[in-house]
Amino acid sequence: MSAQSQASAILPKGNSPARTNAFVGWIATTDHKRIGILYITTGIFFFLVAGIFALLMRLQLAEPNGTVLTNAQYNQIFTMHGTTMIFLVVMPLSVGFGNFLVPLMIGARDMVFPKLNALSYWIFLFAGIFLYSSFFFGGAPDKGWFSYAPLTELTYSPTAGMDFWALSVILLAISSTVGSINFIVTVAQLRAPGMTLTRIPLFVWMMVVLSFLAVFAFPSIATAASLLLFDRYLGTHFFNVQQGGSAILWQHLFWFFGHPEVYILVLPTFGIISEIIPVFSGKRLFSYKTVILAGIVIAILGFTVWAHHMFATGLPQAALLIFSADSFLIAIPTGVKIFAWLATMWGGQLRFKTPMLFALGFIALFTIGGISGVQMASIPVDWQVTDTYYVLAHIHYVLFGGSIFGLFAGMYYWFPKMSGRLLNERWGKAHFWLMFIGMNMVFFPMHILGILGMPRRIYTYAEGLGWDGWNLLMTIGAFVVAVSILVFLINFWRSMRQPATAGNDPWDGFTLEWLTSSPPPVHNFDNVPTVTSPRPVWDVKHPEIADAQQKEH
Amino acid sequence: MRKIIYSSIFLSLVIILSGCTGSPSFLEPASPISDAEASLYRTLLLMSVVVFIVVEGLLLFTIIRFKKREGHKVIPFQRYRALIVEATYTLIPIIVVVAIFILTVNTMQTVAAPSAESGDLNIQVTGHQWWWEFDYPDQNIITANELHIPVGTTVFLTLNSVDVIHSFFVSQLSGKTDVFPGITNHMWLRSDTVGAYYGQCAEFCGLNHANMRFTVFVDTPEAYQTWVKNQQQPPPAPQNDLQKQGQTLIINGVCGVCHLLGQDGPQHVAPNLTHLFSRSRFAGDTYDLNEANLRRWLQDNQAMKPGNDMKSIKTLPQDQIDALVAYLTQLK
Repeated sequence: MSAQSQASAILPKGNSPARTNAFVGWIATTDHKRIGILYITTGIFFFLVAGIFALLMRLQLAEPNGTVLTNAQYNQIFTMHGTTMIFLVVMPLSVGFGNFLVPLMIGARDMVFPKLNALSYWIFLFAGIFLYSSFFFGGAPDKGWFSYAPLTELTYSPTAGMDFWALSVILLAISSTVGSINFIVTVAQLRAPGMTLTRIPLFVWMMVVLSFLAVFAFPSIATAASLLLFDRYLGTHFFNVQQGGSAILWQHLFWFFGHPEVYILVLPTFGIISEIIPVFSGKRLFSYKTVILAGIVIAILGFTVWAHHMFATGLPQAALLIFSADSFLIAIPTGVKIFAWLATMWGGQLRFKTPMLFALGFIALFTIGGISGVQMASIPVDWQVTDTYYVLAHIHYVLFGGSIFGLFAGMYYWFPKMSGRLLNERWGKAHFWLMFIGMNMVFFPMHILGILGMPRRIYTYAEGLGWDGWNLLMTIGAFVVAVSILVFLINFWRSMRQPATAGNDPWDGFTLEWLTSSPPPVHNFDNVPTVTSPRPVWDVKHPEIADAQQKEH
Repeated sequence: MRKIIYSSIFLSLVIILSGCTGSPSFLEPASPISDAEASLYRTLLLMSVVVFIVVEGLLLFTIIRFKKREGHKVIPFQRYRALIVEATYTLIPIIVVVAIFILTVNTMQTVAAPSAESGDLNIQVTGHQWWWEFDYPDQNIITANELHIPVGTTVFLTLNSVDVIHSFFVSQLSGKTDVFPGITNHMWLRSDTVGAYYGQCAEFCGLNHANMRFTVFVDTPEAYQTWVKNQQQPPPAPQNDLQKQGQTLIINGVCGVCHLLGQDGPQHVAPNLTHLFSRSRFAGDTYDLNEANLRRWLQDNQAMKPGNDMKSIKTLPQDQIDALVAYLTQLK
């Protein structure tokens, strides 16, 4: 496609006055900002659905021998909760921010392949709708978000649920791969003049790293899901033990994707936090280069630790120790990032606006998830706590306390750029505190239940095991979180009724997106300054102490 | 001594907060394996608490100390490198994880299986959707959901599944070992404390994963011998016509297609009925085994454990149920 026809493909879309039908404008858009907002809106919608599933599970488990759900319903709901949160909430929200922000942060007018970008979104949306349509065609998938074969074979899963799951995952793999290549090429090709590799904003760096992760990880699950479909309908027997297949092959294929996937879920949040902490501390990110390096090291190590999900499967001792050692190693770059954020705040002037509160909540909570992660890398401890609520505590501290808090930080931070409106601070703070308290009420007791031997994925439990009180507390906490989300939605609704008066740069930001108007015009920038440091806007505001004047390290 | 202090602190915390004990927790171990795993966990927990206090303490201190004051306009010093700080926060985590790795390797050696000796007990564990089969090949005993082992004896378990992946988990005796179809796994147990220990499948295995429980009874040597002798007996003979009718129904009727009566049989599809009422619970260890529950089960097993494999048995005539209950309840 020539540059000219590419430009003409972008120009008439989006905010063009020629297009009067707003609905068609959003459907047909190839504007990265609109696609980003579509991703985020869809992600929030699925977040609400997955949240309702979580509440249903908590109602069922509030007391022993609960009767709110049947076992068949519970299994569908916990599967859809996990699958939705991983594939249809955290990933699209991250990709949504990436879509909206990457071109703005590097001073580009759009992604390098705007139509492919739209294709990624529509495949993703279709995959989500397709997955949910399973409820109307014989039942949703009910074998957990990691769907271990041979339980997923036709013999043990005769409904179409697993077919919907496998096909949706393949579609999502296509969507993610297309989107990831788009991010990589965009950052490689379209950076503003002067933006060398060591001047790229941290968030953009992390989007690139996660894109590489996605490109290498998703083929593994797409393959696994295809093999499963072959087993189910073409008479192959990759996972079919009775005919000579392997019962453990799926776990290797799945976790070779699954472990990088958890970094896919958390790296963009590392990026978001690395943008927000410096701005609200009034300081440059401490040790910018090692924070980038730490992200790259985490990504590479992320491909070498998959079998730490399989410590109880009877792998040889030597293999266990190698995977255990690799898993411990990940603690080091992760620690580097956390300490770099603390060092950034040290000596700064901290402004506790809502985005900063969520960023601080992220650090506090992610640390807890990191600590329990290190504990579980120790094989004998893992033998006791794997597949118990301890693991659920860990993943919810890293994915809810981590990713979701980080994404809300991003939501409050960039909402004015997306809409031209600030979210209300008072409501935002109420949202933060309710979510912070509720989150700890739900997820901290999971550590204790894990220690008390409560397995995960059970729809009911007997009384007298010491699990009752904790479960009730968790159910109450889940509703506190739900109230906090309502507060967020009300805040959002109230803000959208206000006039767009946020201004270009409400937070005194550092990166290029704050130079343009809020919301930005279709072409993003009238002119892009030559970038001289990782904080081009700081340099504009403080020419006398610009980063560019300091010696580059 | 240190160990006792940590565990008492942690356990009292848990007890205060949960208001009851009796949980199947590895922090109340009943075997050398769980004891070693618990002591490793307590050490890691202590290190974790230190890391937690350092990181969260630094975070809180920074938040309080460096809060922007109203009207304060001075731009903070833009320091963004400090080699000594970076080296410290890289090296300390390295030392911590190396230490944990050494502790891990040590504990791995502690819990490794001892070499086999005469007098050890071998048991074949078979996972089924959704119950456990325990086969004592040397004693010629096949039973379900209740595993009996003598105190102080080393027990070697060989684990297989006939369908999907399960996981054998008795937290007070050992960590988990997954139970695969087509792959044979091994683990060992030894308990020096007589008692009954809660076990449960820990790998999601379908509809009734939650109802795939079991109990491990660590018996005194005498009690164990009594149990073995009893299990080795043929099923008690029917005492009256009603019981005889029940026996015929089981052997020649639909029950015998899946259930064994007597230790030798063609297949292991469903729990062995030979000494059914020597067990205290049934249906994947989820219901007390008594006449009323058995009657309920025969009337509508799907209401008690939805999705279990006895779904074809739903319209037994009342007189057959009476006969079955009469016979089965005396299979002690």
